[in-house]
Amino acid sequence: MTTSHDWRRSFGLREAGVYYALLILLAVLAALASSRGLPPYLGAQNLGNIAYQASLVGIMGVAMTVMLITGAFDLSVASVAALAAAVLVGLAGSIGFVPAAIAALCTAAAIGLINGAIVQFVGINAFIVTLGTLTAVRGLVLILTGGRSLMVENPDVLAHMLAFESTRVPIFWAALVLAIVVAGIGIVRRRPVMVVAGMVIAALALLAGRQAAVAIPVLYLAGFTAIMWAILRFTVIGRRLYAVGGNAEAARLSGVNVHAYKLGAFVLSGVAAGFAGVLFGCRLGAINPTALQGTELTVIAAAILGGTSLFGGAGSVVKTVVGALLLFTLTNGFNVLNLGANYQGLIEGVVVVAAAAIYTVGGNRRRVRKAVADTAPDAPPVSEGAPA
Amino acid sequence: MVSPPLLVLEGVAKTFPNGTVALAHVDLALAPGKVHGLLGANGAGKSTLIKILAGALPASGGTIRWHGEPVRWRTPRDARRAGIATIYQHIPLVPTLSAFENIVLDETGWRRDRAEDRARVADIVASLGDPFALDALVADLPIGARQMVAIAQALASGAELVVMDEPTASLAGDERDTVHATIRRLAHEEGKAILFVSHFLDEIVALTDEVTVLRDGQVALNAATATLDEAAIAEAIAGRAVTAIERAPRKAGIPEPRLRVDNLASPGKLAPTSFTLHAGEIIGVAGTLGSGRSELLHAIFGADPDATGGVTLDGVPVGRFPDEAVAAGLALVPEDRAAQGYVPQFTLAENIALGHRGGLLINADAERAAAEAAIDRLAIKAPGPDALVTELSGGNAQKAVVAKWLTPATRVLLLDEPTAGIDIGARTDILRLVRALADEGLPAILVSSEFEELLAIADRILVMRDGRLVGKADPHTTSETDLTLMAGGTLRAPAGVAA
Repeated sequence: MTTSHDWRRSFGLREAGVYYALLILLAVLAALASSRGLPPYLGAQNLGNIAYQASLVGIMGVAMTVMLITGAFDLSVASVAALAAAVLVGLAGSIGFVPAAIAALCTAAAIGLINGAIVQFVGINAFIVTLGTLTAVRGLVLILTGGRSLMVENPDVLAHMLAFESTRVPIFWAALVLAIVVAGIGIVRRRPVMVVAGMVIAALALLAGRQAAVAIPVLYLAGFTAIMWAILRFTVIGRRLYAVGGNAEAARLSGVNVHAYKLGAFVLSGVAAGFAGVLFGCRLGAINPTALQGTELTVIAAAILGGTSLFGGAGSVVKTVVGALLLFTLTNGFNVLNLGANYQGLIEGVVVVAAAAIYTVGGNRRRVRKAVADTAPDAPPVSEGAPA
Repeated sequence: MVSPPLLVLEGVAKTFPNGTVALAHVDLALAPGKVHGLLGANGAGKSTLIKILAGALPASGGTIRWHGEPVRWRTPRDARRAGIATIYQHIPLVPTLSAFENIVLDETGWRRDRAEDRARVADIVASLGDPFALDALVADLPIGARQMVAIAQALASGAELVVMDEPTASLAGDERDTVHATIRRLAHEEGKAILFVSHFLDEIVALTDEVTVLRDGQVALNAATATLDEAAIAEAIAGRAVTAIERAPRKAGIPEPRLRVDNLASPGKLAPTSFTLHAGEIIGVAGTLGSGRSELLHAIFGADPDATGGVTLDGVPVGRFPDEAVAAGLALVPEDRAAQGYVPQFTLAENIALGHRGGLLINADAERAAAEAAIDRLAIKAPGPDALVTELSGGNAQKAVVAKWLTPATRVLLLDEPTAGIDIGARTDILRLVRALADEGLPAILVSSEFEELLAIADRILVMRDGRLVGKADPHTTSETDLTLMAGGTLRAPAGVAA
């Protein structure tokens, strides 16, 4: 177990492929943009736009990743987000923004709880249950809105909502500090990945320039991702989430309250979708009943691009966010470079399948470390009971 | 030898790309009409050898001769077509298809239910003594009958050599006898060559004509079974004489009660059961498969939602869910380590920390230290705490599952077949550990199909049958045969029937 092994693994396609894909895509698009004489692709404005466009899917993707880690699945997120937006827009005019937002989040949490309770206590597959709520909740949105677009009429409330969603925050110095901290921790803890990540953040910040600013949803996404990452990485709760997805029976017999963790994942997914819906409602101060239709598939695609296993027990929220950024960079590239929107769906689909193929072919088993000579014959890398 | 060997291995070796030498140099000759036993500790190379014979892994050195011709199989299909059928330990049948359809699964052709196939299969199944109905769903068959389906499948493919990887590991006594009789008949009457892999020494001695023992990827012993006894085979497997487990003298004084089980019952699984476990005591539970022994442990541990009755630990009632039981200090080592014991994606250290009680933050350094301590204490053969548990051999993975509970917070150990399917070295290690822990004051309830283990380390033995306690036995005065008879139902308990 030498350091060189860890290097090779950390920078291998399976572990870091999604980062490479994003960096290569950015480089290619930047080169294309400059060869066509367009404004610099990697400028503050454009990078900020990509992050802003990816923020809603990113927030839902982080929760979806936690869900997938526990071995369940939530197809209903986009419908729940639309419902939350409808509740917000419908109520904000009469009861004010904050109470309406709370009502929207509670509604979303309740649907998450219903999903989870049906899956856990009735024992129906999560795919089927959430496929049902996907349709049912969308129907609820239609009922609530009467099939028409709703909007907030009260100008004070509207201003409040726009401020919640569209405030731009300067991030240049914050990004530099973050880069130094990440790289510093990486050097101290001998984690090459973190050093490289710090350098990439610094490079992007420097490219974007001193006046770099992002819309506030990007910071919501960053904060949510950081919290979930820390929970998964450093706490017993995180370990148990992985254990529940990896082998629920072993977790149960080790004293883990499997029901609580699985229900918790559903509620988290509901709340995250609700928050994304609140942001969406605030963006325009209005909601139309077909809003966000089909977004759940983008959310799942982001998680898959990030290497999350659909069978539970493995996944990383940071990589899911990078997966979301990758998808929105593709979209953004097609728009900016005017490459013909017709090809977009084809390319995105191919990228998702290619990513899944790399993870499956390249990563079925973790690198088996070379055993020291005297124990070698005792540990052949044949997993028990798995006839090849 | 009367008949020329069917299959000859000469110096077969297997080195994995990562440098692990699974097989160093193996010579083996299998003759038709003979049952050939293959033994070895976990990691000795048995599984690798079987996979090479089945065509699932290529050998990296040596020659394989089939009917005298050198061969090299590239896929399992090649080996099957040549006439080698392999029955894996975890029988890979399709549970949603009928027994008949499983048997003809590898047939070619278009029609699903051809009359001639059916007649042929019916003949084969009849020759096995009709152990199952042809149209029964495999999911509905008991495990012994599934084993017979797998055997019928091998015969239907026209195999001349049948490789059986621990076919009896999960079978109860009478099912085991049926499989033995079938194997004998196949070899001695139909002239098939059988390679029979097992951990059970008595079975090997009773069943086989010739024995090969592997150790560290080499042949440690190859002889006619008639010239051997169990001790000689055990010594060849372990590479050292197996020492009996020495018992510390019972401490004087009245032991303090630790765990009280009060009218614990579960509908259809467990009749009301009461007993008390004292500090420093090991209670052995003897019973055959399906006797309710695992159900008893699960009910105590709160893992059975239907269970009724009371469990008190040090006078305090224990909650009726596993997380409450763990918090109170109960620890269960489940029967099936792969399905219930460990999380395959986790490292050794993470699996050992899974039963963690208390604190919210993970202390990675402490966990690594705990894992290293467990590696030392249980003699786990692993590259280090960061090894994936699935990279370990069965016995070492089992030790990791046991190690999970070796914390000061554990007050009672519940062990469900802790030595199933593991080699004699690891088995002795685990039994010694359990005895040593008990002598330090940590009591245990030990369920085992290996009654000799119960006799070796338990302080008293409870016998179970059909979901109820039917008797008790004193390990100092009871023989393994008596215990087998009590559990099997032909001998009344000498100590009287418990309530």
